Amino acid sequence: MAILEISHVSRFFGGLAANADVSFSVEEGRIMGLIGPNGAGKTTLFNCITGYYPPSRGEIRFDGRSLNGLQPDRICKLGMVRTWQKVRPLAKLSVLDNVMIGALARTHSLNKARELAMVQLTVVGLERRADFLAGGLPIGERKKLEVARALATQPKLLLLDEVMGGLNPAESEEIIQLILAIKQQGLTQMVIEHDMKAIMRISDRIVVLNSGEKLAEGTPEEVVSNQDVVDAYLGESHA
Amino acid sequence: MRAALKLTLFLIVLGGLVAFPRMVQSPYFLQLMILVFLAVAQGQSWNILGGYAGQHSVGHAAYFGVGAYVTLILLQSRQIPPWWGIWAGVVVAVIVALIIGAICFRLRGPYFVLASIAVAEIMRLSATNLKGLTNGAEGILATDIPSLRWGERVVADFSISKVPFYYIGLGLALLTLGVAWGVAHSKLGYYLQAIREDQDAAHSLGIPIARYKNYGLMISAALTSMTGSFFGVFVGFVDPPTVLGLDVSVQIMLICIIGGMGTLYGPVLGAVVLVPLAEALRSNAVTDLLVKVGAVSPESKVGLFLKENLSHAHVLIYGILVVLVILFMPEGIVGALRKLTARRRREVA
Amino acid sequence: MSIFLYSLISGILTGGVYALIGIGLTLIFGVMRIINFAHGDLMMLGMYGTYLLSTFLGVDPFVSVLLVFPAMFLFGGLLQKALINRMLTSVAQNQILLTIGLGLILSNTVMLIFTSDYKTVTTSYASSTLKLSENVSVSAPLLVAFSITAAITAGLYWFLQKTDTGQAIRATAQDRDAARLMGINVSRMSILAFGLGSALAGTAGALLMPTTYTFPQIGSVFTLKAFVITVLGGMGSVVGATLGGILIGIAESLSAVYISSGWKDVAVFVLFLLVLLFKPSGLLGKSRT
Repeated sequence: MAILEISHVSRFFGGLAANADVSFSVEEGRIMGLIGPNGAGKTTLFNCITGYYPPSRGEIRFDGRSLNGLQPDRICKLGMVRTWQKVRPLAKLSVLDNVMIGALARTHSLNKARELAMVQLTVVGLERRADFLAGGLPIGERKKLEVARALATQPKLLLLDEVMGGLNPAESEEIIQLILAIKQQGLTQMVIEHDMKAIMRISDRIVVLNSGEKLAEGTPEEVVSNQDVVDAYLGESHA
Repeated sequence: MRAALKLTLFLIVLGGLVAFPRMVQSPYFLQLMILVFLAVAQGQSWNILGGYAGQHSVGHAAYFGVGAYVTLILLQSRQIPPWWGIWAGVVVAVIVALIIGAICFRLRGPYFVLASIAVAEIMRLSATNLKGLTNGAEGILATDIPSLRWGERVVADFSISKVPFYYIGLGLALLTLGVAWGVAHSKLGYYLQAIREDQDAAHSLGIPIARYKNYGLMISAALTSMTGSFFGVFVGFVDPPTVLGLDVSVQIMLICIIGGMGTLYGPVLGAVVLVPLAEALRSNAVTDLLVKVGAVSPESKVGLFLKENLSHAHVLIYGILVVLVILFMPEGIVGALRKLTARRRREVA
Repeated sequence: MSIFLYSLISGILTGGVYALIGIGLTLIFGVMRIINFAHGDLMMLGMYGTYLLSTFLGVDPFVSVLLVFPAMFLFGGLLQKALINRMLTSVAQNQILLTIGLGLILSNTVMLIFTSDYKTVTTSYASSTLKLSENVSVSAPLLVAFSITAAITAGLYWFLQKTDTGQAIRATAQDRDAARLMGINVSRMSILAFGLGSALAGTAGALLMPTTYTFPQIGSVFTLKAFVITVLGGMGSVVGATLGGILIGIAESLSAVYISSGWKDVAVFVLFLLVLLFKPSGLLGKSRT
């Protein structure tokens, strides 16, 4: 069953289309990879889905209801949460406080939120950093903090925007294991990633965006053998 | 353990403050303490919105003035005693806050700061122009304040001494401290801080930004209005510049900037530093001191100039303080102390 | 009808002078992304400069512009270099607080020196008028002030559009980092922008002196007016600021006549709130959602 349906979504900035007539859907419990050259409109699509800029045209349905006109906080409450490509820790708050703020989306009690937050910190392996200031963490741990904070809102669908960007291979491997573990718990995920090897390993299906349009969609095997995709990527590396 | 220590310390200080009027008879020090309590309450009220939510209002005089005016107008023209008037002030202040919030909190950027000043200025000019209601620039003089009774017993008689004001001021400071503590230790406080740190991130984590900013503003406005009512009754007089002027807003903000924004101790420290300083300037104590040390002779031109003008210079000193603190101590006294203790800890370790 | 026309015209003329203040603010904001809360106080300094020159040296207020402009330019550049430059990378709230502090220092220093009495300059032409038609006349000094303003605005526009330095300023306003990469000395442009902004504010103050009075705290009202003007015109636009200034001038002048002079500043602030409510991106700006 599709948990997220994107139909004919376009987003214009001035006269420019950052997304043009994009349609696809994400099946429950799967990992959908979202790839494309720089400027292909991946993050814009995330922003449209999570309510930061409403789509200029088209409709997004999540869990059977239309998201049109909903603000990000409402969308989070419905069970969809995102992380940020450029991490956004609440710098002057502790790591635990950061995750508690995520958990407070589901409870009014600070004690309950603290418990939920500790669980998620353990999931991502940051439990020993709980009392550190979030602003002082190294990049690898900040990325994990983003994921823990998002998970604490108890989403049905998790949108990860380049969580491996800027990480070394060992750190990336930890994140890959984390994503796979999250999938084991039945959570749906949509992942933007530049690292082709990683995205091929984790994704059940992949959507390729190019210049704002959907170029291809399919299993990882189908996508890598698609001539349009190969051309788009060759084009990027030759430019 | 640390919590127990803090609580003990708090109770000792509180005990000292409760006993203070019995030990110190000097009306000057009593007055100074009342002003410190007022400043603590003002700072703590501003802190909820400015410190925790990061929405720096430069127009809190609006709510302060509403409290003072509403209470004194009701007292003078309707003989409604201040302990009812204070609540009327709160209601009006919250309504004003809701209007400002509805206009500004949909927007990002410096709009809130601008609008907060604009609203305070609208209030000041309106108070000057609406002569029928506020007596215009001449202000309102409270002739006599009815004593507070519990049944037949007189609890507080305001005509004899300032001691009742001392305890009411202390109560007000404690009330605001308590509310700020409650906010800091609740979902609201966590959400306000998230908004301060990063609005987009906060939004994505399910926080309805505008609504929570409005909660913060309403609480802040209600408490500030209570401090205004207290001030109006304590001084027994209001006019537009004393309660609605831009320098009132700056002073309220300055308490937190100096002490440290977004902390419970910040406004307390800020008040303890700022109020005696302002009073010393106002009462020419600084000139007297300079004369005493022999830095200036009282008959010299400089001495006369200082004597003449330094009492008007407190706002100038505020300005200099703002600039210095922002440049060299942007997290206030609390931030500087934290840095010191952190460094010492590092050296020990 | 003639009262309406008279106040409309004097509103437009005064508004033209206000526009200078708004343009200064918008220039500073454009280049440095700093909202200058001391802006009205810089204008107040210009007013006192003209007052001094006129009262003690007998310099005509309009001629005093020749001294006030460069003096305020230097003063503004110095402020930027000594203080504001240190804050360019810190959070917006602290920048705001810094300029608020600076404004308080300026206004209260002036108050210590000159007391808070109202100051005016006396000229032979203060109340002379030009007859436009049978029953519509216009204040001569306002007309002169407006003409000088128009000349300065035109000169500024030419400077920003046609000269290399002007283009460097505009490039910095568009994208600081890109400008730096292109070899533009960004910190020099910031000093220049702050100097220019201050000079424009000070000049506006000088031009207003023949028709109005000044006092040390006059700045805060004008800081807010400058904001209203720039918000109305859309932050960062010279043309927008000009229109915004004229609009504020008209609103003020009409409300002074038809409501009462005590309420004219209120009208400006209420207008500001209405703009925030209905058209926060400015009258010329594209609406955002």
